[in-house]
Amino acid sequence: MNKIVYVLLISALLGCTHKEENMIRIGAAGPMTGDQSKMGVDLRNAVELAVAEWNAKGGVLGKKIELLAGDDQADPKQAVSIANKFINQKAVALVGHWNSSCSIPTAKYYNDANMVMISPATTNPQFTLQGFKRVFRVCGTDDQQGRVAAEFVLKSIKPKRVAIIHDKTAYGQGLAEYFKKALGKNADVVYEGGILQRDPDYRAVLTTIKQKRPELFFFGGIYPEAGRLVRQAKEIGMNVPMVTGDGVYDPTFIKIAGNEAAEGTYVTFGKEPQGLASAQSFIELYKARYGDPGPYSIYAYDAANILLRSIAETRSTDGSKLAEYISRNTFHGAFGDISFDKNGDVTVAPYVIWQVKNGKFVQIQ
Amino acid sequence: MFTQQLINGLALGSVYALIALGYTMVYGILQLINFAHGEVYMLGAYLGIVLLGVMTYYGLTAYSLPLALLLTVSLSMVFCAIYGAVIERIAYRPLRNATKLAPLISAVGMSIILQNIVMLTQGKEYKNLPPQFDSVGFTFLGANVSPVQAFILAASILIMLGLHFFVAKTRMGKAMRATSQDRVMAGLVGININQVISITFMIGSALAAVAGVMVTLYYGVVHFFMGYLAGIKAFTAAVLGGIGSIPGAMLGGVLMGVIETGVSSVTLHLSPTVTLTGSTLRDAVAFAVLILILLVRPAGLLGKAGREKV
Repeated sequence: MNKIVYVLLISALLGCTHKEENMIRIGAAGPMTGDQSKMGVDLRNAVELAVAEWNAKGGVLGKKIELLAGDDQADPKQAVSIANKFINQKAVALVGHWNSSCSIPTAKYYNDANMVMISPATTNPQFTLQGFKRVFRVCGTDDQQGRVAAEFVLKSIKPKRVAIIHDKTAYGQGLAEYFKKALGKNADVVYEGGILQRDPDYRAVLTTIKQKRPELFFFGGIYPEAGRLVRQAKEIGMNVPMVTGDGVYDPTFIKIAGNEAAEGTYVTFGKEPQGLASAQSFIELYKARYGDPGPYSIYAYDAANILLRSIAETRSTDGSKLAEYISRNTFHGAFGDISFDKNGDVTVAPYVIWQVKNGKFVQIQ
Repeated sequence: MFTQQLINGLALGSVYALIALGYTMVYGILQLINFAHGEVYMLGAYLGIVLLGVMTYYGLTAYSLPLALLLTVSLSMVFCAIYGAVIERIAYRPLRNATKLAPLISAVGMSIILQNIVMLTQGKEYKNLPPQFDSVGFTFLGANVSPVQAFILAASILIMLGLHFFVAKTRMGKAMRATSQDRVMAGLVGININQVISITFMIGSALAAVAGVMVTLYYGVVHFFMGYLAGIKAFTAAVLGGIGSIPGAMLGGVLMGVIETGVSSVTLHLSPTVTLTGSTLRDAVAFAVLILILLVRPAGLLGKAGREKV
């Protein structure tokens, strides 16, 4: 009996390997479970949409495209195991990861396996500075956004006293440090420290910060923590605005914080895609399939299209060839024209300031 | 600022105390560490978020928040009490006369089963509840007490007083104390042991349900794994206060909350580049305090050491 099962199993496995040859595989990786799950799911949906569009037109190089989804749970250890899994499954390229702390350590794995990696959301500058030529990103970097945030704050709030908090991740701590650097000597940093991700209670830290009487506090981190921070700050009677980065730009932030506590929060993020003519068909298609696009869906969609276009144009799945093609050309994405500099960063990365007004993000500058 | 931190700590501590009571009552009667207790608290939190969501949908929270809260708390207490009794019936009672480790393992298994049930039915995602109370509260000795903190403190004090009265004055309370002193003797004098044990589990689980609903209101976030750490902390609180002692669990829980908040509020600037934030060392310091206290008082703060069983 057992032998029959084994034989069946093995033949089933052999059947799979045989089919593989007619497939081109690309990966999509991000946090798809846990408290940041919306970001990974937004990313996967967008890549899935791009893949479906290409497959409807017959795939690339005469083969169907298969999407591999990898849930890294925003955990670097998990991200490395996803990377190994994709490499074993002979994926050609990857859209991901979402978190800087996952993208930075995995870049080497993908690059060494001759895979192209395009991250739609990794903003820590170090990501593309590791010297890997197959690694790109389609979003801006934290030194740019830290500078935009600091310049805005110095011009419009003119604070004397500033508190800085971060979530101790590569992204959060990096962003906080760039913000502090850009502030320079123009404001006193009266508090600087880290908090733990997934910790439900930040009241103690906030009470300590309140005592230092800052005129605003900057947070480097992601929306679940940001939501609890403003909510609890309001509860202990700390009525100063929070200034934060792209990781907080999502309606879930306002849902966690509640409209009242979220009101007035400043966030640096890219421009609104809604108004762009090139983005209209993407937004419509996405809405029809999955509901409202997330903040990084359009970036992930463009990243997937860049990968598939370069496979089609170079008529190759060789990572080095693809990387060379990507770095030399300009792509007309849903989010506008995208081209890359020598590190693999986008040449134009405009960060603007958004503010929460009446329970919605509004672009104010 | 000290009062503010104290109130933050007391609110957190009350939640730990309510969960710790369940551990300590069960231990007092069965000498069993009920590792599934943290999951009952998690269930209470989920019930809180689901019930409040439903009530918001039908406009009840807008009509009368106190009524909606009362309904939510009572329904989750009833539901979790039944859960607690069922867990006891299927996972612990059949093993009551087995070796002491058997029910312990059964408890760990129960905890994993419950976590997975919630994960499979409710999903792995974090669920959020928008704030139900106004965020601005009243000022008390220079501290801002938010309405949700006031609710937690008031409800915890009421419940703990009620429990104290129940155990000290009622017939069932007397039966519980008798059972905890000597289960066999209590049975011989006509106390229905199985009923006493079931009721102990029901009360402990109902208290955990209250803690769960409170946490839902306080933090607005629930997920299937939340019972694990809260359970460990509450168990620690019960040990700190002296496991088996009801006032000990209350004291231990409150102390645990206050210590954690105290540690979290400290930031040390060791050098311009190296900063130690208390909030990241909180758990380490809290457990270090536990070890120190147990070194001085091995039975916990209010526990009685080495009682002879005759």
